This record gives sequence, structure tokens and C-alpha cells, in this order.
Amino acid sequence: MARYLILRLLDMVPTLFLVLTLVFVAMRILPGDPALAVLGQNADGGQLEAFRERMGLNDPLWLQYVRFLWDAVRLDFGRSLMTDVPIRTLIANNLPHTVYLTITSVALGMTVGIPLGIYAATQRNKWPDNALRLYSLIGYSVPDFYLAAILLVVFSLQLGWFPINGAGVGFWGGLHHILLPAITLAFLKSAFMGRLTRTSLLEVMGRDYVRTARAKGAREGRVIFRHSLRNALLPLSTGLGLSILATLSGSVAVELVFNRPGIGRLLITAIQERDYPVIQAGVMMFAFFVILVNLFMDLVYIIVDPRIRVKS
Amino acid sequence: MITRRTLLGTAVAASAAGLFAPRLRAAIPDTLRFASAAGGPRRLDPNQTTQGSDNWAVVQVFEYLARPPDGNFGITPNDFEPWLAESWTTSDDAKTWVFTLRRGVQFHRGYGEMTAADVVRTFVRARDEGVNTANYSNLAEIIESGPYEVTIRLHNPDPMFLSSTVTARHVMVISKKAEEDLGEAFLTEAVGTGPYELERFDTERGIFLRRHVDYWGEPAIISNIECLYIADTTARTLALMSGDVDMAEGVRQPGWVPQIQNQKPDLLFDMTVPGSFNTLFFNMEKDPLQNILVRKAIMHGINKQEIVDALQPMSRMVYTLNPPNYPTGFALEDLPEDLRYEYDPDEAKKMLADAGFANGLTIQVNTSQREDYSTQHLIIQEQLRQIGVNIDLTIMDHSAYHATNRQNLNTLNINSSSLPPVPLYVFNDYAVSTANMTADGKGGANYSHYGVAMPGVDNLLAEMLQSTTFDDYVAKGREVELQIQRDLPMGGLPTLSYLVVRNPRIDLGYEVQGGYAYWRFCKAKIVA
Repeated sequence: MARYLILRLLDMVPTLFLVLTLVFVAMRILPGDPALAVLGQNADGGQLEAFRERMGLNDPLWLQYVRFLWDAVRLDFGRSLMTDVPIRTLIANNLPHTVYLTITSVALGMTVGIPLGIYAATQRNKWPDNALRLYSLIGYSVPDFYLAAILLVVFSLQLGWFPINGAGVGFWGGLHHILLPAITLAFLKSAFMGRLTRTSLLEVMGRDYVRTARAKGAREGRVIFRHSLRNALLPLSTGLGLSILATLSGSVAVELVFNRPGIGRLLITAIQERDYPVIQAGVMMFAFFVILVNLFMDLVYIIVDPRIRVKS
Repeated sequence: MITRRTLLGTAVAASAAGLFAPRLRAAIPDTLRFASAAGGPRRLDPNQTTQGSDNWAVVQVFEYLARPPDGNFGITPNDFEPWLAESWTTSDDAKTWVFTLRRGVQFHRGYGEMTAADVVRTFVRARDEGVNTANYSNLAEIIESGPYEVTIRLHNPDPMFLSSTVTARHVMVISKKAEEDLGEAFLTEAVGTGPYELERFDTERGIFLRRHVDYWGEPAIISNIECLYIADTTARTLALMSGDVDMAEGVRQPGWVPQIQNQKPDLLFDMTVPGSFNTLFFNMEKDPLQNILVRKAIMHGINKQEIVDALQPMSRMVYTLNPPNYPTGFALEDLPEDLRYEYDPDEAKKMLADAGFANGLTIQVNTSQREDYSTQHLIIQEQLRQIGVNIDLTIMDHSAYHATNRQNLNTLNINSSSLPPVPLYVFNDYAVSTANMTADGKGGANYSHYGVAMPGVDNLLAEMLQSTTFDDYVAKGREVELQIQRDLPMGGLPTLSYLVVRNPRIDLGYEVQGGYAYWRFCKAKIVA
């Protein structure tokens, strides 16, 4: 197990290297000039040149690339071109908010979605099953930013139950501020997990060992939770991984609409302003999370499915 | 008997009631909250700010030597009132300016009294180290001629020195000692003399200010100012509608103001006139825009009144490069008839035919996705279609748009810029040959290549810069304006006011009519 973990961690290195290279190249190909973004469109040529020189943007690309990689290895992403704040500080200020939002919304999505899926599977082709289908359809169809705006209008503007923006201060303030954004992101997750749970469970419930359990007189609850659900967990773990990744990407729009601090909002602002060091660090953070979530899911598979454990 | 289940249930219900009960969104007492359309604050040092939104905090914390009336620009030298300087004199050649400083002005956070040394340092750093040193290149010497007196010598005469330099934000007076003490931290913790001082600079949330208790003038009425940053339009609008913020930057696109008025009729709209200049540049290095008949045809094909109507109530008519209420701007009736370029599609078609384009022509144009740019370009595209000019429009993100403009990749680009009534600024930025835009991105904002692709106004401008009186300066500036109108390397499009929506509970204490895209809150009071 330890050897497997070490090998998987080593696997991360080339992937991260590739991501770093891609983001570096993409930033330089995209039209846009950080000097213009900082100094404004009326800045004269001399001012723009002085800025580019000071920030090392006039250095040969290979030199910028080597410097960037060397800094990344030391986890030193430099300073923001726009604010001059160390990027480590920016990430430290924003990352906890994104992680908190991701965990809360995934937890909410699972808490609502899995029981709904179980209930729908046990009520196949009856109204609860049809209701879940409709719920899933809406969940898949409504974009995060649109749902966010609707929730804001209804629950914050009209009813005044939730704050309009920000992340709040303290535990209760944080909880109060995170509920609407988390519900926004959890809506799709619950629809997805509900549908996935239903499908997986129905598939397992048609197997011989479930029929045998029923024939032996096992109670329905035991059949579902002990014999069926445990065996349906593998696809559900895949779903969980996908859910976490979808939440990370969805957090970009949600953080903007709710004006919450977070890596997504930081990244979008940086892209608009062509703040290369922040973009590079932000994308790397996202890539790192994707790899980490995948690794986590692989470990979950090993725990959930003994066959994989034997093979590994 | 209270069971464990009852206790738990009651606790959950109470928490939920507290959490979900309709919250009276009472504004924070004695605090004005302003939301600007940006991701987060960058800097507070007035000489280093590069983001317009940060100026909302800057203008509360720092002050000029002299200042125009609240809510407006100063147009003539007589429009300025003494502020950190009690008085000033100027030499006959308008090259030497002597400022006598007010005594007893205290800097924030215990940095002591303002003296001539602080003012000298302020002007020197604007000239030598700031983000806009070019605007201060006329400063030859800045001398501490007494503990409370500063003498400034210029390379060239400048009868508009108060508006061109003294009231530009880079020379808002800073504490020399604080700059030395704080080092790099001065960028975000800068120390000034204004009615508000910095309480907290939070890169994620905004800039928080509190009343400066040792302020030399009338103390600010409201105790705290929160300059918040809400980039997303929906979030900002909702924050305003709910009363979460008192003032918010508006959206300059058709229909936005009426829509907000419909939903909340009591909201107030503050607008600067003229606000942003919108200028249409003809890239004279691109076919067929070298041909003046084509340029004239395009100007005749644009119905400016239609643009003004579409962008009401923010838009105002412009006939030359500068708007009519600026010193060198022209009203329609003051212009010679052949330089008015009034909407006349038949005349436009005739000119195109004379230029060899009787069957029309197609021009590739890039525009920004930002609403003020894209709206105008889309309207112009539709209007020019009527005269046979097909605009093949590519909409791109704002940063990419300006970058491609600077790389000589655009043909009919619009530039929007908020400029004070100093003719030199707009001429220097857009019309002189030294600002010529070059494909390597190292040039300036003269996107037309005026003065390079064809003779320009460099000589007329040089004459204007030798003027020693305001009247002479303006007269020569108007000649420059007319010459640009004759050559037509660029044309003025309707201006677009900077727009702020205000909760009626806030009374600013004055009316916003013009000025930069930020204003002071020290006279504001909470009236409800």
C-alpha cells in the first residue's frame, strides 16, 4: 500500500510538469498585455517598456520558463503583477474558502442525493422515481450561475434570509454566508448522485445474491443497506470523485456571483488582468487538486473493492 | 421533563430561526459602503494606483494643494480653491509657481505636520518614480523655498498647471517620513492628510477607512467608509438593491438604468459629464482608411444621436475630439459646416462612390466585450451597413482587445478614456507623432498613425505649449482641434458618463456634475 502510494505520488510529477508547461505556453499565446492591464490603455510606450523590463516580461521566453519552473519547484510563485502581493499570501487567503465551499457543497449534495437515489430505486417506476428523474433533469440543465442568481434574488433580496455577498466572519458568520453558494453547487451534485445511486442500486438489486438474501428472509432494509448498497459503492465513489472535481470548477462562477473570496475568483480576475504569475499559480493549484482527488479516489477504490486491493 | 431529544430539537430550531429569520438588512450605522466593479484592491499609494476603483479610497485619504469644487472639474485657473496650499503665485511666463502651504495640517497615524519637504517629495516621486511619470515631465525643479513654501519651476510655460498637474492624483500629498518608514508597505498603507485614514487594506474584501480625528478642516460627517469590490454585475446590483451597500458602480449599457429604476424607483443616479471620451480611430495604415473620403463617409454614416438615445441617460453629444463643455471643445454651431460631419447617409454613399467604393466595402474590426465598447461598435456596425460599409466585427475580451489595438491589428477601434479638461492630455495621448502606435507594442495610443502616415499637429501643439495665458492656450488648442477635424484621423463619439447608483439614505452634500470617476465622501451624511 505504501509503495503504491509513493508510486502514485511520483506519478504526479510529470503531470504537474506538463500542466505548468501548458499554462506557461497558453499565457504567452493568448493576446493581452499585462503592462497595458496595469498601466491602462493610454500609457505611453516608454512606461509600458519600463514595466515589462521591471517584471522580466522582456526576457527571452526560455529564460522566463526556466525561472518559472525553478520558482514553482520551490513553491515560490513570486508576486502578483497587479497588487505586488506575494502569491503565497493570495493563495493562503483564498484557498481555505474554496476548500470549505467544496467540502460543504459535496457533503450537502451527497446527503441529499444518495438517500433520494435509494428511495427512488426502491420505488422503481412509481411517482418518487419519476420525481427524482425530473429533479435530475432540472439539476443537470440549470447552470450554476443562473441558479445562484435566482437563489440570491429569492432568499437574499426578497426574503432577506441570507447575506448577499462575502464570506462572513467567525463560524456562524461563515456558515450563514456559505449556505446559499453551497446549495447552488450541491443542487447539481445531488441530482447527479441521486441518479447514479438509483442506477447502481437497481443494477445490484437484480443480482442473484440479493435475490438469495431476500429468499432467505432478510429484511428489506438489510437487503438494501447491507447487501445492495455496499456493492453499489464503487460507481458511487467514482461519482464522488467527479462531483468534487465538478464542484471545484463550478466554484469559479459561484464565487464570482456571491462575491466570495476563493481560488476561482482569484483566477478569473487574474485572467482578465493577464496577471501571469497568479494565473500560473492558480491553475497549478487546480491541477494539484485534480490529481489529489484522483489519488484519493484510487485509494477509496482499494478500500471499497477488495479485488483491486489484491491486484495492486 | 426535558429529554435529550427535546433539548437537541429546540437547539436546532432556535439556530434555524436565528439563521433563517427574515433579516432586516439594516445598514451598518454611521458607515457608508461603496461597491466598485473590480476584483479587489491593488494599491492605496496615489502615485502607484493603476486601477480606477482604488481611487475611491485614495481620494478620501489624500489631498491636493489646490482643488476644484466638489462634484466637478476646474475648467479655468479661477475655478480652483486653496486646499493644502493657502495661496499661490505664478510668474508672467507661467513657468514658476510658488505655493504657500497651510500650517497645522496633520498626517494620519501620528506622522506629524505637513511641511514643504513632504510636498517636494510628493512632486519629485510623481515625476521620477510613479506609474505616470510622462504627465509630470514638465516639472524641472521642485524646491523647498521655506518650511511652508514650495517653488516649482517648469520646462515649458503652463497656464493650466493647476488642472494639468496640481490636481492630478499622483501629486496628492504624502508623508515623506511614512514613505521612508513603511518602505514597500507604503503601497497599501500610504499615509495622507485627508478627512479619512486607513483602517485596513484587505486584498480580498476592500479598503476600510475611518474618520481622521485630527483633520485640519471640517471633520467628515460619517465615521467609516468601506470601499468594497464586487466585480460581478449581478452580485453588485443585488447588494445595492438589498441595501447591503449604499453606493455601487453602475453598468453602462442600454436599458440598465431604466431597469433599475423600475425595480427600485427611489434609487439615485450620480453621473459625471462628460465622463469617458469615446474616440473612433481610423487606422491610416490599413486599406482603405488612408482615403479621407472613406473616413468622411464613415463619419457621415454614423448617427451619433442614435447612440446618445440608446445610452440614455449617460450619453452626451460630441462634435470634435474634446466635448463641448471642455475648453477646446466645439458646439455644433461653432464648427464650420464642412467639419460638422452630421449624419447624412446619402452624402456618405456619394463619398464612398467618389472614393471608388460604389458597391460598398468590408472592414475587419475588433471590439471589446465590455458593454460600453461592444454596444457602440454594434450600433455603428448596423448604421454603416445602411451606407454599404460592412463591418466584420470580432468581439474579444477587454485585455486582448487593447493588446491587439497596440499591435496594429485593428482598423476602426474605439478608445474610451476619462480625461480632465486639459487639452494637452488628449492631444498628447492620441494625436502627437511621438505617441504613434507601433506593431511591436512599444508605441503609444495614437492608433491612427496621425503625424506619421500623414502630416499631423505636432507644430500646432508645440505652439500651444508656449502659451503663457489661459486664453491664448485655449485659442491655440482650438486650432489643433480644428486641424484634427479637417484631417479626420479620428472622430469623437458621444461621451458616456461614469455612473454610480446611490441609496437615498445617503446625501452626498453636493451635486455630482463632472470630475473624475471618483468623489469625496467627507460631506456625505446619512439622512434616513
